[in-house]
Amino acid sequence: MIVARRRPIEDRPFLWLAPLFLLLATLYLYPLIDVTRLSLTDATDAATPAHYTLASYRSALGSSEFVAMMQVTGIFVTASVAGQLVFGMLIAALVCEGERRRLPGAAIVRAIVLVGWVLPGVVIGIIWKLLLDESGAGIMAYASSLLGARNPMFLSAPLPALVWVTIANIWRGTAFSMIMQYAGMKTVPPELYEAATVDGAGALQKFRYITLPMLRGILLINVVLITIATLNTFDMVLPLTGGGPGRATEVIALYIYHLVFSEFQFGRGAAVAVVLMLIGLALSACYARMLQKERAA
Amino acid sequence: MTGHKPQEAEQEPKLPLPPTPSRKGRGSFGSSSPSSSHPFPLAFSPSLLRLLSPRTHRLLGSIAIYAGYIVVSTIFLFPLLWVASLSLRPMAELFAFPPHLIPQHPTLAAYRDVLIGSPLALYLLNSVKLVSATVLCALAIAIPSAYALSRLRFRQPALKSLVMLGMLAVQLISPLVTALPLYRWFSALGLINSHAALILVYVALSAPFATWMLTGFLDAVPVALDEAARIDGCTRLQSLLRVLLPVMLPGLASTAILLAISTWGQFIVPFVLLTRGDLYPVSVGILDYQSSSDSVSTHLLAAAAILSALPAMLTFIVLQRFIVGALTAGAVKG
Repeated sequence: MIVARRRPIEDRPFLWLAPLFLLLATLYLYPLIDVTRLSLTDATDAATPAHYTLASYRSALGSSEFVAMMQVTGIFVTASVAGQLVFGMLIAALVCEGERRRLPGAAIVRAIVLVGWVLPGVVIGIIWKLLLDESGAGIMAYASSLLGARNPMFLSAPLPALVWVTIANIWRGTAFSMIMQYAGMKTVPPELYEAATVDGAGALQKFRYITLPMLRGILLINVVLITIATLNTFDMVLPLTGGGPGRATEVIALYIYHLVFSEFQFGRGAAVAVVLMLIGLALSACYARMLQKERAA
Repeated sequence: MTGHKPQEAEQEPKLPLPPTPSRKGRGSFGSSSPSSSHPFPLAFSPSLLRLLSPRTHRLLGSIAIYAGYIVVSTIFLFPLLWVASLSLRPMAELFAFPPHLIPQHPTLAAYRDVLIGSPLALYLLNSVKLVSATVLCALAIAIPSAYALSRLRFRQPALKSLVMLGMLAVQLISPLVTALPLYRWFSALGLINSHAALILVYVALSAPFATWMLTGFLDAVPVALDEAARIDGCTRLQSLLRVLLPVMLPGLASTAILLAISTWGQFIVPFVLLTRGDLYPVSVGILDYQSSSDSVSTHLLAAAAILSALPAMLTFIVLQRFIVGALTAGAVKG
C-alpha cells in the first residue's frame, strides 16, 4: 500500500460535489447569513441603504402583534400536527390491516389520500375556499343549513376561520404521516403479533404494546417533519383567508411577508424570519439526532 | 375480560429482541400469518367479539375495514369532486338549491373560457418551462454529488455525514427566509422577473433533495458493477454515465417525478421574485386569478383550479406505484 501517493483527481469527492456546494453557498447559505445581517438593520424596502441597529428585534419581537401572531401560529401548528399524526396513523393502520387480509382496495385508498398531498398548496386553499363559500354556492353552507344553522360563518369570523384553516391543513398533510407510518408498520415483524395473539392479547393491547413501541422512532421523526412543514405554511392560507379576518389566521410566514412587502419593514421582517430560521434549525438538529439513532438501531 | 392479560402483553415486545426486522416482514404477510383472525386494530370490544365464530368475526372485521375505506375516501375525494362539479356547471346552476353533486346540464364551457379568455394557458406554459428546466438542472447537479457520496472515500467520514445532514437541514428551512435577501439582491442586479434566475433558485431548493434520494438509490447498486467497468478501463465518469446511470434509471425517474411535482407547487419563491403577470407560473397565476374573480365566476375559478392541479395529479396517478415506493423507501431510510 502506497500511502504517500497523491489521490487521483477523480477520486476526490469535493470535485464532484463542487457544483452543488457552489449553488448552495450562493443561493442558500449566503442568503441565510444575509438575512441575519438584515435583521440587525432598520432597512425598509429593497433599495434603500440601512443602518445597523437592534431596534428591529425589539420592535418586532416586543410588539403585541408578534405575541398574537405566535399564539395563532402555536394553535395552528399544534392542532395540525396532532390531527395529521392521529389521522395518518388511523389510515395507515386501516390500509395495513386491509392489505394483511388481502382485501382489494387498499392501494386505491392509499392513492386517494395521497392525491391531496400532491396538489399545489394554492390549489388546496382555493378548493377549501370554494367548499366553505358562505354564499349559495358553498356546499358546507348548504350542509350546515340542513343542520339548521342559518348564515353560518366559516371564514368570516376569527375563531372558525382558524379552525377551518387548520382542518384544511390537516387534510393536506395527513397523507405524508400516513405514508411514513405505513412504511413503519410494514417493518414490524408479523411474528410479534402472532405471539401476542397466542398469549391472548386484544387488538388494542397489540397496538399499544407492539405497534406503538416499534413505531416510536418513526413517529418522532414524523412529528419533527410535519411541525416544520406546518410552521412554514404560506401558500395554502393565502387564497383561503389571506391571514384574515383581521389577523386571525396570520401565521408566522404570512406575518413575515406582510411586514416586508406591505408594511415595508424589511429589518423587522428579517428579524422574525431569523426566528423562523432558528426554530427550523433547532428542529432539524433534533431530526438529525433521531435519524442517527434510527440508523444505529 | 380477564385481568392478567395486559401484563402478559406488556412483556410481549421484549421477547424478540434485538429489533432487527426480519426480511420476511416486508412482503409476504399473508403466508406467514394465514390463521390469525384477530381484527387488529379495529375491534374495540374484543371480549364481545370472541363470542362470535371466527368466520363471522373475520367478516365483521372486513366490513369495518371497508366502512373505514369509504369514510377515508370520501373525506379526501369529496373536496376535489365538488370543485370538479362546480367547474362543469353552467353559471345558472352555480346557486342551484338544493345543490347537486352531478351537474344537471354539464358543460365544458368553463374550461374553454378559462383557457381562451384568461392567461391561464400562459401560466401553465410558464410552469412547464420552469419545471422541466429545474428538473434537468437539478439532476445534472445531483447525479455527480450522489456519486461522490455513495462511491468515493472521504478523508474524514464525519465530513460525509455532515454534508448529508446539511443537505437535509437545507430542505427544512422555509424558502421565505432565503427569498427575502434574494429579493434584495435580485432587485439590485435587475434579476427580478428573470426566469433563468428563478430556475437557479429552484435548483438550489431541489438539488439537495435529489442528491439525498439518488445517493440512496446508488447505494443499492452493487459496487462490483462499476468496479468491473473500471477494471475494463473506464474512468469514474464513464463508469457513472455508461454503467451506473442505466441501472438506476427507475431511481432517476422517481426522483424526477417527485422533483417535478414539488416544483410545480413551488409558490413563495416565484411569488416574491416575479412581479410581471405574464411570467407567473400557474401557482402564482391562479392566486392572481382568484383575486380577480367573483362569485358569479365560481365555475371559472373551479375550472382553473382543476387545470392547474391536473398535471401534478395525472403524473401522480399514472406513476403512483413508483412514487409510493420511493416515498416509503425514503421514509424508512430517512
